[in-house]
Amino acid sequence: MKELTKGFVIVASKNPNFYIYACNLAESIRDYYPDANITLFTEERFVDDRAEVADNVEFCGGHYREKLTGMARTPYDITMYVDADMECEHEDIVKVWDEMKDYDMVFHELTEDRGKFYAVHEFFYGSGIEKYRLCGGVCLYRSCNPLVQEFMEDWDRLYRKQKDGSWRPEGFGSSQFCAELKHFDQTTLWWLTEKEPKYKDLKIGIFEDDIRWNYFTQYDYSGCDKGDKPPILRHYSGCLKKDRYIV
Amino acid sequence: MSRTWLDNAFWETPQKKILNAISETVEGNKTTRKVWKLDKFNDDGTENEMFKEVVSFLGKEKIDESSKKRLDKKQEEAEVDKHKKLEEQRAKKLEKLFEYKLETFEIPEIKESKNRLLKSKLRRSKSVPEVNLYAILIIQDAMKNEGTN
Repeated sequence: MKELTKGFVIVASKNPNFYIYACNLAESIRDYYPDANITLFTEERFVDDRAEVADNVEFCGGHYREKLTGMARTPYDITMYVDADMECEHEDIVKVWDEMKDYDMVFHELTEDRGKFYAVHEFFYGSGIEKYRLCGGVCLYRSCNPLVQEFMEDWDRLYRKQKDGSWRPEGFGSSQFCAELKHFDQTTLWWLTEKEPKYKDLKIGIFEDDIRWNYFTQYDYSGCDKGDKPPILRHYSGCLKKDRYIV
Repeated sequence: MSRTWLDNAFWETPQKKILNAISETVEGNKTTRKVWKLDKFNDDGTENEMFKEVVSFLGKEKIDESSKKRLDKKQEEAEVDKHKKLEEQRAKKLEKLFEYKLETFEIPEIKESKNRLLKSKLRRSKSVPEVNLYAILIIQDAMKNEGTN
């Protein structure tokens, strides 16, 4: 039986800073996991010698959420997608594949106490209030499963339509959707995992000690249960001035 | 009309000369609560009758006990607050350090360096001086290689 290929996918598009973050992330993964497979999706205009840290570089477009295209285009059978503005800081990164267990997709959970650090956590849906449950900052997925592959392609395709206004998932009112929700790939993720019948049989899990796999620096600001083990991947999402040149 | 005192009264000062207490007065169906800050002595030096009333109603030991409970709770809250603030400061320092490292990695000699070991040390640095130290070592290494090439 053919052994499954496993690798990391990192995406850097639109803003040159993301390329710098992405190369730094890849280097930091290599610090702890020297023989990791790493694919970097980025724009051709950004590429310089630093991209050599990835063993596979693929060109992508300049959309802000090109990450979804990168996730759908993964060359691996099992993929760990990581947001570019993160850094690896623990040797347990090598254990990431054990987290796949018998799931199809594994995420970081957006719990109640973590919700305050997200731009939007709760939203009106139908006649009630719903919450995003999964955070797409990291995602471990069985990309060799055709249904998972289709899911990733749909996430990418529908998000683009949602963003440009040509598609709105059924059940959303127009005002909050247009003002706050349509810009988020989280909205599409929520819809696909919670409402789309085609994907109801996908086994979706949460990382064990999931805070370690997507440790937002803001979690230290107050009150979050941080567990007793050190972070594996730290997320600098909220604090970086992404549009300002680093030098 | 009868006046009673809630059992959460506490001394405002260690000398026990100011007492904070809540009275409860029942009149028909209406219950009124009022917060009092009572000095042990009046301005003319005589004993404050209401102060005496509370001490006699609740007993000195009960007031000592609730004062201690309140103080412990306040200290515990202050400790939690202090811990939260320290954690936040540490997180913000870490965020700044991350940006500083990225900026350091943009220095041409460091950007182009192939010395993985030193670059990894720089990335794992826990403080600005440590970053600076490894930045110097990387530049020295680059200059040395330049000299040999």
